[in-house]
Amino acid sequence: MRIFVRLRPAVINGLRELQANKVRSLLSMSGIILGVASLVAMVTVVEGMMGNFKQFVDGMGGLEKITVERQSLPKDQEHLAALSESITLRDVDQIRATIPLISNISPEVSVGWEKIVYEGREAVTSILGCTPDYLPVARRWIDPGQGRFISDLDILYRTDVVVLGASIATDLFPPNVDPLGKVIRVKGKRFVVVGLLNKINGSNGMFSRWRNNGVFIPVTTATSKFTGNNHLTALGLRIADANDLQYAVDQVERSLLQMHHGLKDFSINTNEETLESFRKTQSAFKLSLGGVAAISLFIGGIGIMNVMLASINERIREIGVRKAVGARGSDLFLQFLAEAAVISVMGGVIGLSVSMGIVWLMNYILTQAIPSMALSTLDWKIMAQGLGFSVIVGLVAGVYPALRAAKLDPIEALRHE
Amino acid sequence: MGSLVTIRGLHKAYPMGDETVHALDGVDLDFDRGEYIAILGPSGSGKSTLMHILGFMDQPTAGSIIFEGEEVSSLGADRRAWYRSNRVGFVFQSFNLLPRLTVLENVALPLLYREDSDRKANEAAAKHALERVGMSHRLEHRPTQLSGGERQRVAIARAIVGKPSIVFADEPTGNLDVKNVDRILDLLGSLLAEGITVIVVTHDLGVAARARRIISMRAGKVQEDRRQ
Ligand SMILES: Nc1ncnc2c1ncn2[C@@H]1O[C@H](COP(=O)(O)OP(=O)(O)O)[C@@H](O)[C@H]1O
Ligand SMILES: [Mg+2]
Repeated sequence: MRIFVRLRPAVINGLRELQANKVRSLLSMSGIILGVASLVAMVTVVEGMMGNFKQFVDGMGGLEKITVERQSLPKDQEHLAALSESITLRDVDQIRATIPLISNISPEVSVGWEKIVYEGREAVTSILGCTPDYLPVARRWIDPGQGRFISDLDILYRTDVVVLGASIATDLFPPNVDPLGKVIRVKGKRFVVVGLLNKINGSNGMFSRWRNNGVFIPVTTATSKFTGNNHLTALGLRIADANDLQYAVDQVERSLLQMHHGLKDFSINTNEETLESFRKTQSAFKLSLGGVAAISLFIGGIGIMNVMLASINERIREIGVRKAVGARGSDLFLQFLAEAAVISVMGGVIGLSVSMGIVWLMNYILTQAIPSMALSTLDWKIMAQGLGFSVIVGLVAGVYPALRAAKLDPIEALRHE
Repeated sequence: MGSLVTIRGLHKAYPMGDETVHALDGVDLDFDRGEYIAILGPSGSGKSTLMHILGFMDQPTAGSIIFEGEEVSSLGADRRAWYRSNRVGFVFQSFNLLPRLTVLENVALPLLYREDSDRKANEAAAKHALERVGMSHRLEHRPTQLSGGERQRVAIARAIVGKPSIVFADEPTGNLDVKNVDRILDLLGSLLAEGITVIVVTHDLGVAARARRIISMRAGKVQEDRRQ
């Protein structure tokens, strides 16, 4: 191709100029280097953080989860406290019957943090009363061969069965003992282990340890054996489509207010607020670091333009000679544009390696501070974007100097000392 | 030999404030192929201006130039660049070799800007031209590593590498010592055999004496056109 034939010597020439003026070229690249490095490192680290956030929100049940919790009455309803019946299984039936948007509903009774014992080995963990719906709502399951979860019959007959979280099973039982079928004591009462909950292996260590904690018993057993009343601590609700979240929240609120005679003795929470605050943090990061990157790229562009103009000034005679032997304005334009592009690509490549260093350092610092933090990894797409940015900056910055070179009058250029 | 250039009524005026400088003021000339011409004249007489216009570096204000049968007095910049790369060669007083390029690359430079530029072919042509001037033992040297005479020989190789019809030399020996002057002038003279027209611009009578035709200029006009 013609353009390639013309471009090749232009690029080779650019590389030579770069080699001949190493220090000056490096200085002119510094802005680009800084810009690309901060751009790529920023995007990478922010994406990494966002990954952590997403994992966290997913661990909390995702955006399709709504949590209803017991709450003391607001000030203007305090005098009606005696009328408050709290959240009960009647609410569960009502929601199930009237709100089709809710696909699963998991009534939960928190018994609290209690001691559990197996043959002298002890552990302290949270005890939750729940129903079979806990699994779909919490997005958990039981792996094959690991027993079963709490069943409808357990609920009906208030059986003394317990399902263990993965880390509790390993804490409480020696490695060579199969927990299934064993009898343990929960808050002093005998329970038969019927299943082990799936293990969560997140890169987020602390979070997954917490998620692997806890033991689960039938909600009816929890109320009759431990809490002594029919009050539920929370309802976990799952909807099919996160887009319906707001409607579902509104419907649940109306239903519950009606059931509770207008008493607001509950709160409704979603993960959207959490995600929203994450998003805000993310865009704040992007804005501030993106600003730094944009400014450095801008300064980088000015630096390249400066060096190009200086270089053209020094080489006016060369431009005259090239024109005298037959170079067109466009040949010189191409030559100097290619030179600017070479500088910016070099700067971009150096910037990318610097960004690798920055990301490594950020990972090091973050994991020192928060060991459970997931690491940020460089994405080739982001790196390609960073390089693309630097090339664009170089080309834009090179246009004006290259035009000046192209327009020089050959006779005057040759006369130049 | 056939006619190469026909110049009629050539004018070049530079407006300088209120006044106008007439660098060329009605020049009529004919050049044949293979002529050896010296243009002589005091400083400011218009020698360089004439050379620049004939060398497609500049445009006249008025007048006609027929070059190889074509009217070329008002060509656009790219067309003139084409003529510079394909039809003319320049030899300068101060050599004007590019310091970053090797001798070989300097000589190949005019070919780089041709439509049919091809790296291998350019190199071969440049080697051939360097052989012609006796510099083929310095292909990879930089110009700064050469003596003045050697540099001018390289410059002549660059001027002839594209097989031009006409070579302009502006005070080609001005920066050379006596020993090298002869050698360079011999070299320029030897180009005639290939049908190249050589035009040497000088104010050195000794240099002019080598030419077969001496054109004397004064105040933008041809004062004398003498064949010897
Ligand atoms: N670019 C220019 N602008 C104004 N005047 C010029 C320019 N170039 C040449 N001249 C004038 O034209 C005249 C001829 O100049 P030139 O051709 O360089 O003469 P020579 O080469 O014989 O010394 C001089 O008076 C010079 O000052
Ligand atoms: Mg002159």
